[in-house]
Amino acid sequence: MGKTILFGILPYITAGIFFLGILYRFSVWMRTPVPLRIVTTPGPKTRTGVLWRLIGDVLWFPNLFRADRSLWVAGWSFHILLWLVLLRHLRYFLYPVPEWVAGIQTAGLYAGYFIPIPLIFLLARRLLIDRMLFVSILGDYVALILLLSITFSGLLMKLFFRADLIDVKALIHGLTHFRYLSLDVPWLFILHFLFVTTLLIYFPFSKLMHGGGLLLSPTRNQRANFEERFINPWDFSVDYNDHNLSTPEKYRETLGESREGQKG
Amino acid sequence: MRMPVSVPELRMGASSRQKCHPAKEKDMVKIDLPKERARDWKETMLKKMAEVLDRYRSVRLFLDICVKCGACADKCQFFLGTGDPKNMPVARADLLRKVYKRYFTLGGKIWGRANEAEELDERVLDEWVTYFYQCSQCRRCSVFCPYGIDTAEITMAAREIMAAAGVATKYVTEVVAKVYDTGNNLGIGPAAWKDMSAFLEEDLKELEGVDIRFPVDTVGAEVLLVPPSADIFANTNTMIGYAKMFHAAGISWTTSTYCNEGGNFGLFLNYANLKKINNRIIEAARELKVKKIYWGE
Repeated sequence: MGKTILFGILPYITAGIFFLGILYRFSVWMRTPVPLRIVTTPGPKTRTGVLWRLIGDVLWFPNLFRADRSLWVAGWSFHILLWLVLLRHLRYFLYPVPEWVAGIQTAGLYAGYFIPIPLIFLLARRLLIDRMLFVSILGDYVALILLLSITFSGLLMKLFFRADLIDVKALIHGLTHFRYLSLDVPWLFILHFLFVTTLLIYFPFSKLMHGGGLLLSPTRNQRANFEERFINPWDFSVDYNDHNLSTPEKYRETLGESREGQKG
Repeated sequence: MRMPVSVPELRMGASSRQKCHPAKEKDMVKIDLPKERARDWKETMLKKMAEVLDRYRSVRLFLDICVKCGACADKCQFFLGTGDPKNMPVARADLLRKVYKRYFTLGGKIWGRANEAEELDERVLDEWVTYFYQCSQCRRCSVFCPYGIDTAEITMAAREIMAAAGVATKYVTEVVAKVYDTGNNLGIGPAAWKDMSAFLEEDLKELEGVDIRFPVDTVGAEVLLVPPSADIFANTNTMIGYAKMFHAAGISWTTSTYCNEGGNFGLFLNYANLKKINNRIIEAARELKVKKIYWGE
């Protein structure tokens, strides 16, 4: 029974929350208007320029590169290693395994061995630098500890307590084809699986959405085309109140008298 | 060249007692804000906050996606100068973020303080008044943030929210009110503006021996110049520079005594006043029937 829920129902709930959650977050951001042009200089003038800027931001983290070199090394290498590990895991989902997935198995494996280094660095700097300790909140630690737990449970499985790959693959293949198979899998696999599930459920509601948010960030995705008029969708007209010396007519009328007075 | 910057030791609350003077009733009346802090300030502020969150993607997005990497922390001159950790851009934004979490996110409503969500109360408001006015909105942090998170957007939002409930500072409100009285931030009246322009004209004639004009309220000029008013009051060399340039280029120009301020303090207060002050430039341009506006600060 427990296993049916764990491998028969939970994965679908997780996937639902993960994808719908992300869609929900994007929809909220996208329907919130951008009233003013706030692009940071030096901003691109064209849409193509914006595209390149965003691609650069996603692939290279140039702002972070300028801001904090050691943090950049850790953050950037973590993301690259994570992608390698994720792509390596495609072999559990695809049958037959495509050539290129087979090709990156070794790189993905080593990425898995090295990924704890940036993760531990990121955790350590939160605890050891006083200003980082000051700004860090529970969610920051939760994300790092979850990622570390996933990593170590995965590595242990790879190195010491090996799961039967045929069973694991059959299980995942069954899930992706909506067929539930009751198979015996080792506890370490269950643990690894649960950590990933937790992370995926947590993902859409946390700061882990930063990658998606970057693409919609007005300071990064706007054009610096200041020659074109920018329309604020919710703009409203403003009225002067009785205490204001506006419009020009009222202003001249009121101050004209006092000006004469000053001259005399 | 890369200059080494020494990051200060954290000094908790180092600038917590540096507060701006509160706004005065006479100014608040002129700029369409409540005369004093509203009795239902909390509800008013939360209502305004909901409106701001629905109107500014920047604010909502920036509150949502900050990962607290700390890249901005040692880039803020207010933090570098005071060592007060709440002057780190990330921590400054957290002052708004914790209230946002409490009232506008599921996680904050469920987990509460464990998720850094906090009630909007007297203590939080006091921190807002203190630290949201210790940001000069220079946007330096946004240049270093991997997501371009712009703390100026956050402080502007917070000030707009506070202003709606009648919480503002004397400096900003007084300057905004002055624009409606005199057309500029410094309170230079039409007579004084004309006098100073004439004075510069004479000065320049003496120095250069050339008739270089400083036209005021000239209907039908080609260009309306809207300089920061400090250019005629204090940085006169800049004002002289404009006049020389127009003279050399042979462009007819004028300043307006109705609108002679390129610096818009509405930016530091709320959208309505920002727009109202900008509107004056258009009105002045129509009054003087100019073809172009040169405007800067």
